[in-house]
Amino acid sequence: MSQTAVRPNRAGALPTPVLFGAVGVVIAAVTLELVPRLGVVSAIYLPPTSTIARALVEQVQRPEFWLALRDTLVTWGIGLAIAVVAGIVAGVVIGTVPGLRAATASTIEFLRPIPSVALIPLAVLLYGSGIRATLMLVIYASFWQMLVQVLHGIVDVDPVARDTARSYRLSAAAQIRYLIWPTALPYVVTGIRLAASVALILTITGELIIGTPGLGRQIAVSMESNSVPPMYALVVVTGLLGLVANQLFRAIERQVLAWHPSQRRELSEAVSGL
Amino acid sequence: MRRQLAALLIATAMLAPAACGTTNQPNTPAPPGQPDKVNVGVIAILDVAPIYLGKSKGFFSKRNIDLTLTTAQGGAVIVPGVMGGQFQFGFSNVVSLLLAKEQNLPLKVVCNGNNSTGVDGTDFGSLMVKGDSPIKSASELNGKKVAINTLRNIAETVVRASIRKAGGDPKTVQFVEMPFPNMGAALQSGQVDAAFPVEPFQTAIRGQGGRSIASSWVDAAANLTVATYFTSQQLVSSNPDLVNRFTEAMKESLAYADAHPDEARQIITTYTTITADVVAKLTLPKWPADINRASIEALASQAMTDGLLKQQPDLAALLP
Repeated sequence: MSQTAVRPNRAGALPTPVLFGAVGVVIAAVTLELVPRLGVVSAIYLPPTSTIARALVEQVQRPEFWLALRDTLVTWGIGLAIAVVAGIVAGVVIGTVPGLRAATASTIEFLRPIPSVALIPLAVLLYGSGIRATLMLVIYASFWQMLVQVLHGIVDVDPVARDTARSYRLSAAAQIRYLIWPTALPYVVTGIRLAASVALILTITGELIIGTPGLGRQIAVSMESNSVPPMYALVVVTGLLGLVANQLFRAIERQVLAWHPSQRRELSEAVSGL
Repeated sequence: MRRQLAALLIATAMLAPAACGTTNQPNTPAPPGQPDKVNVGVIAILDVAPIYLGKSKGFFSKRNIDLTLTTAQGGAVIVPGVMGGQFQFGFSNVVSLLLAKEQNLPLKVVCNGNNSTGVDGTDFGSLMVKGDSPIKSASELNGKKVAINTLRNIAETVVRASIRKAGGDPKTVQFVEMPFPNMGAALQSGQVDAAFPVEPFQTAIRGQGGRSIASSWVDAAANLTVATYFTSQQLVSSNPDLVNRFTEAMKESLAYADAHPDEARQIITTYTTITADVVAKLTLPKWPADINRASIEALASQAMTDGLLKQQPDLAALLP
């Protein structure tokens, strides 16, 4: 992890990981500026950073851009919310009802690796090209991320704690509330973070291929119109979205799991400089 | 238990169509006094300028049609969309429709879409090579690599027609599937020897020194009908009045766009991201109001020669 790989600045003047991150971004941007300028790749197909940045500035002044961004966020948010709730409910049911896990394991292992993209023709047949078609892809892909994490979390319950709970005759609801949920929570939060990335990827993919309104469709239209710099500008926006989402969910993870040993260890490592 | 999971998944899948059933589905006539909501699946390319222009001119609303245009990436989305009733009409090239008809998909063409300009050397798509290529004619493509946007579809049929017409042997040519935006770079790098781009990529490749060696739309048939608007047999039988009104509005739109190319160019800048200065340089397709049946027959017979179609298509059933 970056926290352990990077030695914290003892003087405390600069948050070092942020500094290193910034250096990484600058190196990437300079490389992307130089590659087309040095003629390694034609600037027609890979415009330099400065051109993409100008196109980005133009994009953010267009109302269509903000509408597309809103559409993407709505599809992503709805898809992720449904997948998270469905994944948690299905995971808790499958993980706690005796025998259900064994009965569903092969089915889950069969369905899970089916790439969502392969379901596009089915999604289009069922729902046309609107938001529902893309939602189907998003939910399908991110649901498995959640479900598998929740199932792992439930398996992780300490046998001694479980036996203790049984000895004290905790009800099923109480066991879920006081035993299973706290054990599974770190897995759930990780699942949400992973599902968020997958959901974003599938949202953009659905928009690109099916033509559901959003950033992906704007990228496709730019491509068909041979408008290369705006296309890259939109691609950059999708990347930034993913970055923001990941940071957001990491922050939530730290908040929600502040009590959990995994988070406390990270904190103590960061403090002691290990 | 597995059955329960399957039931859960199926139930989830059923919920959404149930929800969409509440929206106004125009496969049945709209209540009196209300316009029919019509959703048309199109591709964001020059070819569909007339329907955008017709919408803005009110040719559809005056026929009581509330028109929504939905852009999709291509026939793979539009054909199932029309079959499934999400789109009432769709835009597709003729060969895709012939292939779909051969598979007994219940489609019906309602109106012309766009045609070749019919002018050799000045069309909206052409067979191109890079500037310093030794190839001067389609006859020299024997054994070479040619990039087309979709294999076993209209581009392959017309490029084969060009090669045959020039005296080459299309059977020896290796066709490579490649999106239009990649063709310029592939020509430059020598990855392919020739490519068949349409506008705006044809003009972009010319700007990089590329050369057209054949006008394949023209070589395939005189004034070729390249694409048409189509619907499902189901809509034809359930709401023939709507189909008639759509067809009339479309014909008016096509005639208007064909007569007013400057307005067509302007509308293109609204639904694509092609800028006004670029669109001014592009070669537009022709938009006759009526389908050129003879050209579709010629195209079908070439598709048969190439083995793309297995049997003589029933054009009377496909075309209006």
